Amino acid sequence: MKYFEPTSIDEAVAILAREDDARCVSGGATLVAMMNADLLSPSTLVGLRRVSGIEGITKNQQGLRIGAMTTHATIAKSGLFVAGMNVINRAANQIAHPPIRNMGTIGGSISHADPAADFPTALIAANASIEVSGMDGQRLIPADEFFLGYYETAVAENEFVTAILVPKGPENAVGEHVKVTRVDGDFATVSVSLVLAFNENQCSYARIAVGAVAATPLHLDEADAVLTDSALTDEDIDNAAALLVKASDPIDDVRGSANYRRALIPRLLKRAVSLLKTDA
Amino acid sequence: MSMPNTAVGHDVPRIDGREKATGAAAFIDDMSLPGMLYGAMVFSDYAHARILSYDTSEALKLPGVKAVITGDDFDAVLGGVFLKDEPPIAMGKVRYLGEPVAAVAATDLKTARLAAQLINIEYEALPNVLSVDEALDPKSTLIHEDLSDYFRLKPSSFEGNILWKASISEGDVDQVWSDCDVIVEGEFQTQAQHHLYMEPCGALAKPEQNGGITIWSSCQSVFIVQQKVADYLQMPMAKVRSLVPHVGGGFGGKGGLHIQTLVAKLAMTCSRPVKMTLTRTEDFEIVRSRHPIRIRMKTGAKNDGTLIAREIDMVLDGGAYADESPAVLNWAVFVARGPYNIPNVRSNGQLVYTNKLRAGPYRGFGNPQVTLAGETQIDEIAQKLDMDGFKLRQLNAVKTNDAWIGGQNIDACGFDACMTGMLEATAGAEAEAAAASTSNKRRGIGYSALTHMCGIQSTSAEVHLRADGSVALVTGVVDIGQGSNTILSQIVADSLAIPVERVSFAAPDTDSSPYNWKTAASRTTYMSGRSVLGAAVNVREQLFTHAGEMLECAEHDLELREGGFVGVKGVADAQLSFAQIAGRAMACVGGPIAGTDTLVFDGPTLDPKRAIVDGFAFTNVGIYTFGMQAVEVEVDTDTGEVKVLRVWSAHDVGRAINPAMVDGQVHGGVVQGLGLALTEEMVWGENGNLINPTLMDYKIPGILDVPDFIQSIIIEAAEPTGPYGAKGMAENSLVGIPAAVSNAIANACGVRLRSLPFTSERVLRALDAAGK
Ligand SMILES: Cc1cc2nc3c(=O)[nH]c(=O)nc-3n(C[C@H](O)[C@H](O)[C@H](O)COP(=O)(O)OP(=O)(O)OC[C@H]3O[C@@H](n4cnc5c(N)ncnc54)[C@H](O)[C@@H]3O)c2cc1C
Repeated sequence: MKYFEPTSIDEAVAILAREDDARCVSGGATLVAMMNADLLSPSTLVGLRRVSGIEGITKNQQGLRIGAMTTHATIAKSGLFVAGMNVINRAANQIAHPPIRNMGTIGGSISHADPAADFPTALIAANASIEVSGMDGQRLIPADEFFLGYYETAVAENEFVTAILVPKGPENAVGEHVKVTRVDGDFATVSVSLVLAFNENQCSYARIAVGAVAATPLHLDEADAVLTDSALTDEDIDNAAALLVKASDPIDDVRGSANYRRALIPRLLKRAVSLLKTDA
Repeated sequence: MSMPNTAVGHDVPRIDGREKATGAAAFIDDMSLPGMLYGAMVFSDYAHARILSYDTSEALKLPGVKAVITGDDFDAVLGGVFLKDEPPIAMGKVRYLGEPVAAVAATDLKTARLAAQLINIEYEALPNVLSVDEALDPKSTLIHEDLSDYFRLKPSSFEGNILWKASISEGDVDQVWSDCDVIVEGEFQTQAQHHLYMEPCGALAKPEQNGGITIWSSCQSVFIVQQKVADYLQMPMAKVRSLVPHVGGGFGGKGGLHIQTLVAKLAMTCSRPVKMTLTRTEDFEIVRSRHPIRIRMKTGAKNDGTLIAREIDMVLDGGAYADESPAVLNWAVFVARGPYNIPNVRSNGQLVYTNKLRAGPYRGFGNPQVTLAGETQIDEIAQKLDMDGFKLRQLNAVKTNDAWIGGQNIDACGFDACMTGMLEATAGAEAEAAAASTSNKRRGIGYSALTHMCGIQSTSAEVHLRADGSVALVTGVVDIGQGSNTILSQIVADSLAIPVERVSFAAPDTDSSPYNWKTAASRTTYMSGRSVLGAAVNVREQLFTHAGEMLECAEHDLELREGGFVGVKGVADAQLSFAQIAGRAMACVGGPIAGTDTLVFDGPTLDPKRAIVDGFAFTNVGIYTFGMQAVEVEVDTDTGEVKVLRVWSAHDVGRAINPAMVDGQVHGGVVQGLGLALTEEMVWGENGNLINPTLMDYKIPGILDVPDFIQSIIIEAAEPTGPYGAKGMAENSLVGIPAAVSNAIANACGVRLRSLPFTSERVLRALDAAGK
């Protein structure tokens, strides 16, 4: 196995283009575990830890730019995730446990594209975009279009994720991420990421994403629309959830049956709404 | 004689604590020997199949491969404790998916694993028998065609895939149901739980010049490893030396063999040391599990709360091989009456083969499963009678000098004290739980009583006095992490009034240690503690004999003095150090001082006039122990999630030799019990494949799932035969937890769960079904 540690994005892209079967390694929390379990044996690894300009969180006019190499722990501790962007901070806090949060990176997490992971839904709820870099430079992919299937993303062969751009969103918005797990530190049986804004007691803005109920995070404009301009009554939430349940395609696995997952959608949505109502 | 209390009853730090905390302690995988090879295995792809042929030629061609072994390389010897049904490696047939069929030794691990993949095995698939119902069906395919020819240690009935039946009855259950004012009946189902010791199983074997073999392995008894490997390899035990480094937990899973025979055979085949340690996944797939048990139970009482009848019918899923299942069946049948004087009891059990991993001993030995049923029914009866559960338990509780089912006398019973202690500790807790409940977060408290035992099998010990007055303790006891090295050293230190630092604890070695059965059945403190105390007292007597002669006084005028002295009572400066006495014994009179003691548990056995007993694998057990546990849960009625908030655990330990270690056993057993109650379950798929053999998929409680509040309540009702009055307690702290969690969930939100584990999904389903 060959191992490279490029120092720039261009150099990294060049190696990815040159070497067959090359894979990026960021935190290694997932990749190395898979290699140890003989699930993967890439012939080339491209370590991203020395690539400059892809780590850390910076504030700009539009909102935040999160470098791909930023760890879950850094995001979890950051105070920059104001308003609805907070959904990302809340998700980071609920990923696994401290050792994994210290290792794992947001770029690695979304590139792995596990439908039970926490960042994918949070980024969709935050309406974020993913910056990928390739031979032809950079392009932005809306989070909604980034996840294509189980462990499958829109990142092309010789590209890699370099940053996540998070728009500020409505100023008065709030964000929350909730998940049901079997034990502490587990992947979600079902998770819900939610961004809401209130105008008096009316909901003026809503974006819901549900995790672990389909091959990709579930987001429906129609469901958001049910909550937007509603009073967020239990009935409103049930109506939004019903659309999501209908669009979901959950599986039976050791974390729970498809039926249980469907049952959790409205219940977790209610939990998220009620947490945000007390926050707002 | 005044006995200064230097050690017993104190929180003496573990003698191996520093080593373990700093990472210096060596386990099997840390060991290596010059010229050592690495082992790997080939596992069956079928749950049930005939082996038609092996092709090992490609593997043997691979550079670095030094040996390949299959069933063809072994004598056709079957092993087992109560039923000899298990070959050393699959022979002729495979009976569970993952069963080892071949093994390889090579110069490095990668080559060994690659070679294993190159071994080609041809199978002829047979129908799988995966469930208890399939196994009970007389038309199902036989997993062991030769069952009737197998050696059976004790007589018992068997038929088809039912390998053992056991029962006990007292009184006349059938006659009394009509006298009952209240009857509860239910079916309970428990699951396979993995032992999940921190250290996966492993072994290292080294061929010796004399044709023998030395084996280090992660095990619960060096003697059992020695005996079984010698049997499989048809060697005299004198040629099999078994040793053990530190062990990272066992819980019953390392009580029998795992890969020791294969590693020994590989080493002997290529005349080089061979090491093999299992990956976590391999450990899940090929070692053992807790028994899933289907239990039907019926309990009846009078209006005043007197329990008068209990009937139990259970089926244990033993998996592909008997292992110690007949004994687990036996104990589950025997203990299902619970710690109550119920005059009419019938307890029946059947043990079946299925094409899954063998089930085996696991902390509690069938008891947590039947306690779930029994203690659920106690609460249900209390509810029906509108009576307090404690009152019902106290009314029926066994007391000192009552009889156990089968008639054995209970010589020391702290059960009532456990209940009283629990009542005090949990005073106000139910009101607090009710007050803190909201419409969708319901809190509740559940209780479970429990009983277990600790007197079983045999052991022996030696204490040697060294020249400077230090002593060497030699026992053959394997400390699997529970702390027996320290407890047994404390007993010696206390009985000779020397500091624990002056006692050396010899590592178990079949070449030089006296025999001890194994670290199991909560027996080490009670059984080995007795023999260690006996050996130390024996040394003390010899010290006194010498001192009497040296000081020219009668032995009854002598006393032991703190720090290793024997002195004349009332005369402060008339004393001898142990070193002075040792010097005399070694150089002049009598020879070196050594004390020995040996014993077998031979308490009164079952009374045939009182109980009808059939198919019991063992009857020579006793010294019953008691406890009471309580759990507070919060159930989220929207999602079914169960959060454990507080746990109280009261155990009659006879005497706490080391209270901190009692607390440690309580904490560990409680958490392992919470895993059993709430999340852990090994799940097999349609082909008999284990679906969740990783820690990603099989979930034990994480640190944030463990409640901050676990209160250990130590009750000391001295056992007359115990060392310093001590009894066992190590399994006990797990036994009542599933039942207490079940009762707590019922208390919190009014639903009854009868299938373990109580996952959030099952809780939600029960809530939905009950319309809550
Ligand atoms: C025990 C455990 C529990 C976990 N629990 C959770 C949980 O509860 N919730 C959750 O969301 N996650 C969980 N995870 C996953 C964790 O968050 C991982 O850290 C994350 O999925 C991967 O991040 P990484 O930086 O370690 O990626 P790596 O392991 O380095 O890489 C993962 C994959 O992404 C690719 N990759 C990495 N970086 C890039 C990049 N910049 N561009 C393109 N491809 C890239 C790699 O080639 C590889 O295929 C858990 C992991 C473990 C081991």
